[in-house]
Amino acid sequence: MTSPMQANTANTSPVIATEGLRKHFGTVEVLKGIDFSARDGEVISILGASGSGKSTFLRCLNLLEMPSAGRLHIFGEEVGLRAGKDRLRIANRRQVDRLRTQVAMVFQNFCLWSHMTVLENLMEAPVHVQGRSRAEIREEAEAMLARVGLTARRDAYPAQLSGGQQQRAAIARALVMKPRVLLFDEPTSALDPELVGEVLKVMRDLADEGRTMLIVTHEMAFARDVSSRILFLDQGQIGAEGTPQQLFGGGHNPRFDQFVSRFNQG
Amino acid sequence: MDWPFLIDVARQLLSGVPLTLQLAGSGLLAGGVLAVLVASAAASGIAPLRWIALAHVEVFRGTPLLVQIFLIYYGLGQIPELRDSFLWPFLREPYWCAILALALNTSAYTAEIIRGALQAVPEGEVEAARAAGMSGVLLRRRITWPIALRHGIALYGSEVILMVKATSLASVITVAEVTNISYRLISSTYRALEVFVVAGAIYLALTFLVSLAVALVERRLNAHHAHRRT
Amino acid sequence: MTPGTFELLGFGPQGWGFLLLKAAGTTIAAAICGFFLGSLFGLLGAALKLSSLLAPRMIGQFYTTIFRGVPEILIVYLLFFGGSVAVTQVMNLGGFPGFYSLPVFVIGVIAIGLVSGAYQTEAYRSAFLRLNRGQIEAGAACGMPRHLLLRRIIAPQTLRFALPALGNIWQSVLKETSLLSVIGLTELLRQAGTAAGSTRQPLLFYGIAAILFLIIGRMTGAALGGLERHLAKPWSR
Ligand SMILES: Nc1ncnc2c1ncn2[C@@H]1O[C@H](COP(=O)(O)OP(=O)(O)OP(=O)(O)O)[C@@H](O)[C@H]1O
Ligand SMILES: [Mg+2]
Repeated sequence: MTSPMQANTANTSPVIATEGLRKHFGTVEVLKGIDFSARDGEVISILGASGSGKSTFLRCLNLLEMPSAGRLHIFGEEVGLRAGKDRLRIANRRQVDRLRTQVAMVFQNFCLWSHMTVLENLMEAPVHVQGRSRAEIREEAEAMLARVGLTARRDAYPAQLSGGQQQRAAIARALVMKPRVLLFDEPTSALDPELVGEVLKVMRDLADEGRTMLIVTHEMAFARDVSSRILFLDQGQIGAEGTPQQLFGGGHNPRFDQFVSRFNQG
Repeated sequence: MDWPFLIDVARQLLSGVPLTLQLAGSGLLAGGVLAVLVASAAASGIAPLRWIALAHVEVFRGTPLLVQIFLIYYGLGQIPELRDSFLWPFLREPYWCAILALALNTSAYTAEIIRGALQAVPEGEVEAARAAGMSGVLLRRRITWPIALRHGIALYGSEVILMVKATSLASVITVAEVTNISYRLISSTYRALEVFVVAGAIYLALTFLVSLAVALVERRLNAHHAHRRT
Repeated sequence: MTPGTFELLGFGPQGWGFLLLKAAGTTIAAAICGFFLGSLFGLLGAALKLSSLLAPRMIGQFYTTIFRGVPEILIVYLLFFGGSVAVTQVMNLGGFPGFYSLPVFVIGVIAIGLVSGAYQTEAYRSAFLRLNRGQIEAGAACGMPRHLLLRRIIAPQTLRFALPALGNIWQSVLKETSLLSVIGLTELLRQAGTAAGSTRQPLLFYGIAAILFLIIGRMTGAALGGLERHLAKPWSR
């Protein structure tokens, strides 16, 4: 439960905001100045052709990728960045580490820690980063595993799970930290087709709970049905932005229509 | 920097290089032949032969080379039958004892390399050869051994380098190779660092030449391979 | 009256049993100390070689080239003679005239540490390169500071990947301790040599030394193999 006070500030200041975010790799400019903001409770799908900069953008939001220029605000707090040789640098690691505990990320390749069991994966960050008590977190971790349907596999190692199970475990790992925002980078792209559904179902439930989510995906139907907003990235810029109804209705933006029609052709 | 001293050291140490090379060369040659025998025995259907081969590998890989050298140099003389045999004129010479120890030692490691290389030959390629009507020696000569050689050559290259380094232990039983001369120079002049630098440079040069040669052999083998594929 | 084999190896007044066991203890102690000192050098060497800067990489390369390319026994001689010369010079400069030397055990451990460190550098380096970058990013994304990432994710996985190579290096280290006999450390080989000389039974005593080396190598190898299998469990299906 959020207090009225928090709910109030959440409504006024964005959860995540960028101003003029740029990123280049060598001479290639991948993000060409992105102004973006996400508010509490929004579910934003980030769509775009391959190479349009979706992953790079998402990874800039928790500074796994360092932007070349621009500003980043998280929970209304400006993230300290200082100039470096060819990109910005983290000014204050502690600030970034603190913010990262509240901005969880789910990766395309799951990236569960392979030397730990599923349960240990869930407990790792809450215990060692957030310093919460083992007993308390163990209960929450078990509840979270029950929720994603992995209670029976809690003592298995990641290598012993299917892709879908690994991704559900990775989502549970993100959730036990009680993050205020969830970032997903193509969470179903590495999965066999028959395993995609089980992961999308978990994500749909999260969206229905009112969680704030930013999702890079190629699952058009999911984006249309679940998102409150679509962000279409086109060659490193925001090509179109709006509700699914506005964008998927057609005629709003020719580049987006082209993208969707090419997508539907396969 | 005392150049005259360094040059004098270099001249003396270089005079030991032929002996170092002889030890390595003879050891590798004899050890290579022995390794083939051991590897064949290890793969044979006759159980006692297999056990002997396994014991050989275990003993010579599991004990220090210096222990093996001492066993041969000091120990064999204790056996009256050997002292009376035609072998004794050789076995009482430190030179031949060192070569025998090096050969036995490298034969164990090389036998393992051969075993591993043969294991790495893909089953399918052998089956394909059988399907084409090859068998026995022809199959081995044309298919199995060439493929195994390509797998084993890099590991054997490291073994050759280890052998060049191992010849230094012959210094302990008075064989006047590079390390033996270095030791005498160091203990008479107490200028350990200078002598070490020169001796080290000689060994590095030798091992560098070996790795160069191995790389050339590998390149040739692979070029041959590529040619046959096209 | 010459004593029989049994008495020679026994623990009685004519027996060498106690001294041989004590020497085996020295061998194991030197091997363990040398190996762990080598781990220190190996981690440092790997860090140097993995650096993004050229100078540290070249220092790391220089270290591994020298200590893997030059015979171990030469390195032992260098430290034995060079070490005492250096210590003597330092002491003389400090106003203490005379001749000084370091204990041979210390010299031996440093020599073995330097050599095995060069091999361990490669073991740790290639293990580190096998780490999955994504898992490290996942840690960072959870807000793990660098020391925590190192301790909880990078170190345990690197160790597991390096363990098979470390096991081989341990076996080499164990055998390399025999080289320390040449500078007068009473380890297994030197003790066997003393016994062989005074009893005129070289075959027996060098044979015993060989058997003890085999036993120590086998037992530690089995223990390391067990550890390796245990730690590899997460990667087996
Ligand atoms: N580390 C990097 N070094 C150099 N170029 C990079 C790097 N990461 C990404 N790029 C380039 O940046 C561009 C955008 O990459 P990004 O991964 O953000 O695209 P994307 O929209 O996520 O594509 P996809 O749908 O294929 O995942 C691509 O052209 C890619 O080649
Ligand atoms: Mg991507």
